Amino acid sequence: MTLAFALAAGVLAGSGAYLALKRDLLRVVAGIVLIANAANLTLMASGGTRGESPILPVEGEISDPLVQAMTLTALVIGFAVIALLLSLVYRVYTGYDTLDLDELSKEEARHAREIDQQARDDDDVAEAEGR
Amino acid sequence: MRTWAPPATVLAMAGAGFVALLWLWLTGGGEVDVPWAPTLDLRLHLRLDGLAAMYALMATGVAVPVFVFAWRYLPHHLAQQGRSVREQPRFYALLGMFMVSMVGLALAQDLILLFLFWDLTAVASYLLIAYDRQDGGARRAALMALLVTAITAVALLIGTLLLYDRYATFSLPELFRVAESSTTVTVAGALIALAALAKSAQVPFHFWLGRAMVAPTPVSAYLHSAAMVAAGVLLIGRVYPLLELSPVLLDALVVAGFASMLVGGVLALSRDDLKQVLAYSTFSQYGYVVFLYGLGGESGVGAAAFYVVTHAVAKCALFLTAGAVTRATGAQRLSELGGLARAMPVVAAGSLACAATVASLPLTVGFFADELLFKAALERGWVFAAMALLIAVLTLAYMARFWTGLFLGAPRTEAGPVPGAMVAPVGVLGAICLVAGLVPAPFAAIAQDAATPSLLAAVPVEARYYLDLRAENLLALATFALGALVHAGHRAVPAAAEAVARLGERLGPERAYTAGLAALNGLSDRVHDLEVRDFRGRVTAIFLPSGVLFALAFVLTPTVGAYAVGSFSLGDLPLVLMLGFAACVAVAATRPRGHLTMVLTLGTVGFALAVVYALLGAPNVALVAVLVETIVALLFIGVLSLIPREVLRSQMRATRERRGTRFRDPAVGLVAGATVFVLVWGGLSRTGGEGDAARRLTELAPEAHADNVVTAILADLRALDTLGEITVVAVALLGVTKLLRRGRLW
Repeated sequence: MTLAFALAAGVLAGSGAYLALKRDLLRVVAGIVLIANAANLTLMASGGTRGESPILPVEGEISDPLVQAMTLTALVIGFAVIALLLSLVYRVYTGYDTLDLDELSKEEARHAREIDQQARDDDDVAEAEGR
Repeated sequence: MRTWAPPATVLAMAGAGFVALLWLWLTGGGEVDVPWAPTLDLRLHLRLDGLAAMYALMATGVAVPVFVFAWRYLPHHLAQQGRSVREQPRFYALLGMFMVSMVGLALAQDLILLFLFWDLTAVASYLLIAYDRQDGGARRAALMALLVTAITAVALLIGTLLLYDRYATFSLPELFRVAESSTTVTVAGALIALAALAKSAQVPFHFWLGRAMVAPTPVSAYLHSAAMVAAGVLLIGRVYPLLELSPVLLDALVVAGFASMLVGGVLALSRDDLKQVLAYSTFSQYGYVVFLYGLGGESGVGAAAFYVVTHAVAKCALFLTAGAVTRATGAQRLSELGGLARAMPVVAAGSLACAATVASLPLTVGFFADELLFKAALERGWVFAAMALLIAVLTLAYMARFWTGLFLGAPRTEAGPVPGAMVAPVGVLGAICLVAGLVPAPFAAIAQDAATPSLLAAVPVEARYYLDLRAENLLALATFALGALVHAGHRAVPAAAEAVARLGERLGPERAYTAGLAALNGLSDRVHDLEVRDFRGRVTAIFLPSGVLFALAFVLTPTVGAYAVGSFSLGDLPLVLMLGFAACVAVAATRPRGHLTMVLTLGTVGFALAVVYALLGAPNVALVAVLVETIVALLFIGVLSLIPREVLRSQMRATRERRGTRFRDPAVGLVAGATVFVLVWGGLSRTGGEGDAARRLTELAPEAHADNVVTAILADLRALDTLGEITVVAVALLGVTKLLRRGRLW
């Protein structure tokens, strides 16, 4: 079973990494969802015991409740992060009218040049006044 | 806020601090020694010994006239630049911070604590020099001061760590006890001395001090006389017992000090701007102090301490003079000024006393400073005495040029009225110089006390007039004669000095600084360009090599028994099938289909995993997973519905058209997946130890009044974690709301 869990986690994480490299911001978020899923699965798989659900009264072996509690926490936090990411993506869209990382990079480079130019102009003015 | 409140507060702080420190010093000093971070050997160790008392008294004592002056100066300064008076509190807060960090620096007995205050003074001075922040020159000057002093401060830190590595202590008294002459101590001492020289603006770091003159006058006055620049020589005095162990370091100090005195003196002679003259004078004067520490011995160290006090008083007054003169006339160049003695008698008289002090004329306290200098130099030999004489002549010449240029000759400008609060400090400081010229005992006492921690022994510092023909007196007479001669030939001398200064500008270290800064800036620009041009390229650049490294590590570590296939029974078949299904759907999600398809595929992965959790005997997790997956899918769809269809379509096309990375992205995905697989497999193979944690938790559950063990863990046993989790969710929610509503919460 160990091997099966590891294989599944590997495939999930690999697919997530692939998606996270896309130009499309929405696919980047999807990739992160997959990576989070892989992490949750790993957590669950690392339980020391397997068996009945840990709800009283129990007879015989129960499955490890500690990893379940941890996975729950991880799930909820992962969810909060993804919600935040999605709203960030939307905010980026309203600001730049695009979801394309290449376009965004170009925009940022242009902005950086503008700032540089502005600073240079300011310096020139200051120097001219200094004289 | 009332405009008098901020200056009054810092003024009261400075005054109260001065009185308290003075009282403490007179009653024998005090000490605070508390463990701060004992595991790291850090102590909050402050002690008011003689050296600390001298610098702390200077920092608070000089602050009083400076703050009084600033009170009247600042509103005018702000008005001239069209800035609001509401910017005043910031100025006083920064000056107050500067003062406090300087006092802390003086008191610190622990190298790490010292480093902390050291950097605090750098930060405060940065903000103060750039106080006129709309001025690009001021910003650049501040950055220069910060870079020069903060980068060299790293040398101080490295020296500290070297010493700690060898002697396992940061405490200075402790170090003095155990340190012996060795290469480590020499290297550490050299690094610490480097930081000190940069802070005191000694050659070749002198360029920042001249630039820093763009700061408002009270800042310049304070920076030069009692803070920042004084911090460098304070550090030398503080770690002197360590420096003393390596004669080569002391010789280096002599050279650096002499070079600084010479360069500073020549530059001071060549400058036209009032504050520039004073700036170069300052660093020449601190050159004296470094020179004296280098000469060493009882007389050298004692003289250094004496020099620092007299210089602080006199230089502060001279800066305030420059400020008052500029306020009265609007001019700040020597060539535009002259004959002000009649219009500003108090300032003229006060600054005469102070200029005479710097030039070491008799009847002022400065005379004794030069006597002590000559005595210390003579003890080392005639060569050193000749060096001292040369510098004393230069000092006399530029001080004479400064004062006569300002106050004698024909008036060239109209002098307006100057507020009394700007005149009085100059007068008071001048009077102190004169009174101390007659009764030097208090100055000598404080200098003597200040030399004690440097020498680890009490030495007498004698300041009195000897009316005989001893060598010191002869040297002083020679100084006066030669100085008068240089001043008389003042047409030729400044021209020659200026030629030297111009040469220095062309070849000097400032050029190296500017070139270095430009190169760094260019490099940063290029890296930034690369980064923003292709973000994914950068991610790949990190992912791929680290994946390869991980793979290598796994290949090289022994694998026997490290990986277990694990038990498998027929009952596990549904689990395996579900896992396989989830994996297949995850791969399908990477196909370039429409966004909605992708979202639904993602949801399928999540639900498949929920089934896996259910099969693993975790109904709680399965339930939450279903809930979370549903909401995530809905969120995705919500975002999709907000974004126009054309934009989404063009994204689809972009995904398909991509050529250059056809093989790169899958390769990265494969490496990442393989790495995770090997990592997880290795990790899971090691768990499954026996243990009865599950059993114990089950027994604890009823005590938490819960039937569900997982609930008991979340709400009781690990409640703090859950609180953290809830906080994360709340913060994320806040962020989402702000983002979606464009900054409004409701």
